[in-house]
Amino acid sequence: MKRRVPLLALLAVIGPGIITASAGNDAGGISTYSVAGARYGYMMLWMMLAITPSFIIVQEMAGRMGAATGKGFAALIRERFGVRPTFFAMLMLLASNAATTVAEFAGIAAAMELFGVSRLISVPIAAVVVWVLVVRGSYRDVEKVLLALSSVFIAYVIAAFIARPDWGDVGRSFITPRIIPDRTFIALSIGIAGTTIAPWMQFLLQSNIVDKGIAMKEWALARWDVMVGAAAANLIACFIIITTATVLHPAGITIESAGDAAQALAPLAGPYAELLFAIGLLSASILAAAVLPLTASYAVCEAFGWESGLDRSWSEAPLFNGLYSFIIISSAAVILIPGLDLIAIMLVSQVINGVLLPFLLIFMMIIINDRRIMGKHVNTRVNNVLSWGTITVVIALTAALLVMTVLGIG
Amino acid sequence: MFYLTRMLGRPVVDAAGEVIGEISDVAIATGEVFPRVTSLAFLGPTKTPFMLSWRKYVSTIDDEQVVLNAERQDLRFSYLQPDEVLLARDLLNKQIVDTQGMKVVRVNDLKVSESRGQLRLLGAEVGMRGILRGLHPSVERVVAAVTRLLGRELPENLIAWNYMDLLDRDLSHVRLSVTHKRLHELHPADVADVLEQLPPTQRARVFEHLDNVQAALTVAELEDEFQADLIDDLGDQRASDILEEMDPDDAADIIGDLPYDKAEALLRLMGVKEARAIRSLLGYKEKTAGGIMTPEATTVSDDMTVQEVIDYLRTGAVEHETIYYIFVVEDDRRLEGVISLRDLVMSEPSTPIAALVNREVITVGPDDDQEDVAETISKYDLLAVPVVDESGRLLGIVTVDDALEVMEEESAEDLQLATGSSSEQGPVASIWWWLVRRSAWLVIWAIAFVVFVAVRGPVTEMAPGNPFRGPFAVGLEMAVLALIMLPVLLRTAEELSSRTLAELIEGDTENGHPTVTRRLAREGVVGVVAALVAGVIALGLASAAPGTEQVAVAPFALVTAVATLVTVLIAGLLGHVALKRSAAGRRVSGTGLAVTAMAISTTLYLLLAFASGVLWVATLVAGLD
Repeated sequence: MKRRVPLLALLAVIGPGIITASAGNDAGGISTYSVAGARYGYMMLWMMLAITPSFIIVQEMAGRMGAATGKGFAALIRERFGVRPTFFAMLMLLASNAATTVAEFAGIAAAMELFGVSRLISVPIAAVVVWVLVVRGSYRDVEKVLLALSSVFIAYVIAAFIARPDWGDVGRSFITPRIIPDRTFIALSIGIAGTTIAPWMQFLLQSNIVDKGIAMKEWALARWDVMVGAAAANLIACFIIITTATVLHPAGITIESAGDAAQALAPLAGPYAELLFAIGLLSASILAAAVLPLTASYAVCEAFGWESGLDRSWSEAPLFNGLYSFIIISSAAVILIPGLDLIAIMLVSQVINGVLLPFLLIFMMIIINDRRIMGKHVNTRVNNVLSWGTITVVIALTAALLVMTVLGIG
Repeated sequence: MFYLTRMLGRPVVDAAGEVIGEISDVAIATGEVFPRVTSLAFLGPTKTPFMLSWRKYVSTIDDEQVVLNAERQDLRFSYLQPDEVLLARDLLNKQIVDTQGMKVVRVNDLKVSESRGQLRLLGAEVGMRGILRGLHPSVERVVAAVTRLLGRELPENLIAWNYMDLLDRDLSHVRLSVTHKRLHELHPADVADVLEQLPPTQRARVFEHLDNVQAALTVAELEDEFQADLIDDLGDQRASDILEEMDPDDAADIIGDLPYDKAEALLRLMGVKEARAIRSLLGYKEKTAGGIMTPEATTVSDDMTVQEVIDYLRTGAVEHETIYYIFVVEDDRRLEGVISLRDLVMSEPSTPIAALVNREVITVGPDDDQEDVAETISKYDLLAVPVVDESGRLLGIVTVDDALEVMEEESAEDLQLATGSSSEQGPVASIWWWLVRRSAWLVIWAIAFVVFVAVRGPVTEMAPGNPFRGPFAVGLEMAVLALIMLPVLLRTAEELSSRTLAELIEGDTENGHPTVTRRLAREGVVGVVAALVAGVIALGLASAAPGTEQVAVAPFALVTAVATLVTVLIAGLLGHVALKRSAAGRRVSGTGLAVTAMAISTTLYLLLAFASGVLWVATLVAGLD
């Protein structure tokens, strides 16, 4: 008979939150934060401070919905709103997901180009590897690997200290809101919101909570995992900005390629900076590229009641299998378009995430305040104020970007 | 024919022709196969919800509106009755269990038909049509037209009320009719299939509605991985009640997988007899006869008559897993013999059973491997085999259904051995492992290239005057050709290893394998043929390869042939060792076998090729001198 020590009770619920949050620091995340630091120095740090509570609260809400209902986000949207709104929600999820998967393949291509391998070779191979990983791999163990690999980016924390930034300046930047009214800055702000609180992450987290069978009685523990995970992921994101701002910004390097971004790790790894960066980028991208299409596939099938599950064959679950295969293949195909700027692709994908974010959050807000669904676990006022605040700000930023683009300002 | 999604939102008009609201829902009475619509729910002007009796007030319904037969002020509103279900609120967009198809599906629309002035629910639409209609009716029409053009029909996928069961059991107060085929009326194996499709929390919720007997049967049918989780999630009292209902061997399996505290708590809540039976089984190792047996054997003593035994079966053995074999034991439970139910039924009631007893009983020991037990059952066509200890005392029986499960398990394990994936390493490890295994030859080939490049560097940088420079360069040229030929050898090694593996899986280890010499002789013949073929290919390759004039064609072909032969022999030898190890009960890794064979073969081939090049130049130089 197996004996389980009480500590394992905690470990049993740990995971979904930390994993989801660290999965957010993927190709798109790293490039967005790196560009933010390189281009604007410490200027955007205050945004990270501002967005962290929102991120923690959104993740907490997604987790709470899963624990209270035992259903995924997509199922709840369908049951609360019916077919038509669900269709649009799923379109948004697919767009967010596909864009991010494209970014992951861009990350793979960029990392492999640091090793001197052409993207024409690396991307098709990566697509096959990712596909096989999805078809044969199972969720829980992908998580473990992710967890292990996300630790690579702790290198940024060390690098930040070695680079000796002016900590006073860094501290002040966290609390001094500064905005430059040009399109790049606004787009990057949306990108930061989109990469920090990526829409697909809420689906992933909630379905993780549901799959682990975490119900309201375990939620008290799991909630800490979710919130600490979110905070930790954002801490690392802050250090990416601090490092790139300290190393690259004074040198006037605005990131044009993965090689530039890698130079931020030079204080730590010296000549091996590119190697370290490439390994981190590659593994994070491959795993995210496997998890993302799967998340979308599960969510869509859940919403429309189609057979899903990796143990189902193509004839049993054609739409499920077809969907993730399509996302993987088409995302990889996009990267093969000649002359594509990989860094730009990674940034744009995060801006798309940012633009779609408020709309999916609105669905979330309506569901989580519905007593018929959530019972007594509806939102508190603090949650509501912060979430609606986030939604308003991101919509306002998107509108501003739109107006500026149309009028040609900035 | 109406669809609920089309009905919702239509205006409700009273007898005076005044619009008094819009349809928000309709309720059905649940007591029939095609339930009648009994109530109309609508939202009044200020979004106030109202409910009306359909029978009393609804005059007509069409695609445009619902017309009432009374004026607004004469309407008497009603409330939702206990046996009523609201279609939009409780069914539309929800997950239901299709108890006929044994699947969990989502309701995309509900189809209602009008017959003799009554509206009846035909069924829930769960197919693509309902989704398209939900998007917009014109979308459905367009897609239907397109598919018809392609010669297909966009099918409607309806599930009738009597084949539905609801998952969200806020409706458990609803008394459903007898004609309604609920989840708990399905075969436990089918219930288990449905449960496995649900996320854990929902699984537990549905499970709560099964009674203890049904629950026990269902748990026994669940896959192992779900069993312990499900029991772990239940309250202690319920869990122990269910385990008590189960056959002790199945219950012991589950309890063995639970955390220690939980297991103890459950055992304490059980009846003394059941708990003792389970505890006694927990003492045996997994995967042995003791681990899979049930202690519930039907036993009698040999001084009884046939009639007495039959009476005993009717009273004392009701709960026993199987009564087809009745075991005759002495007072200390020492096994004397066995009678079959058939013998009993065919004999006169007054016959003493001593006359019927078959004393040549086939038995197994509690520590016997479960696979051997299963084989015994299959070999002697038994329905159950008794498990006895060294002193011959009857401990329990292993029944044929347990044997079938064992065989299923073992064949899955064999498959893992063959494909090189092992659940112990976890699926991700195994996916990489699988990739490595399937492309092991590719990896080794790549490694060989890397080693080659590493070696070539220093050689090309050798000073021009260095006497080793020339011979080494030719050796490298030979090695390049060998690298090109290498996949042939690698694949040969891999094929042979997997053949050994197949022998390992299929062959029975007792009848023995051929001796080393016989095996090598057998492999030798294959090897010579393979060597000849490889030699010829190498000859062709070396003469056709551009820019390799320096290469000695004949030596290369010879080296290739030799390396091929040796590869075959090595693979055979390793296979022999593997079979020996396996016969000795040790674990054998198929991948390890193949990789070892390939690594040896690669090293040998490349070194031989290199050496032959060097030697060839050396002899040439010696000849010139």
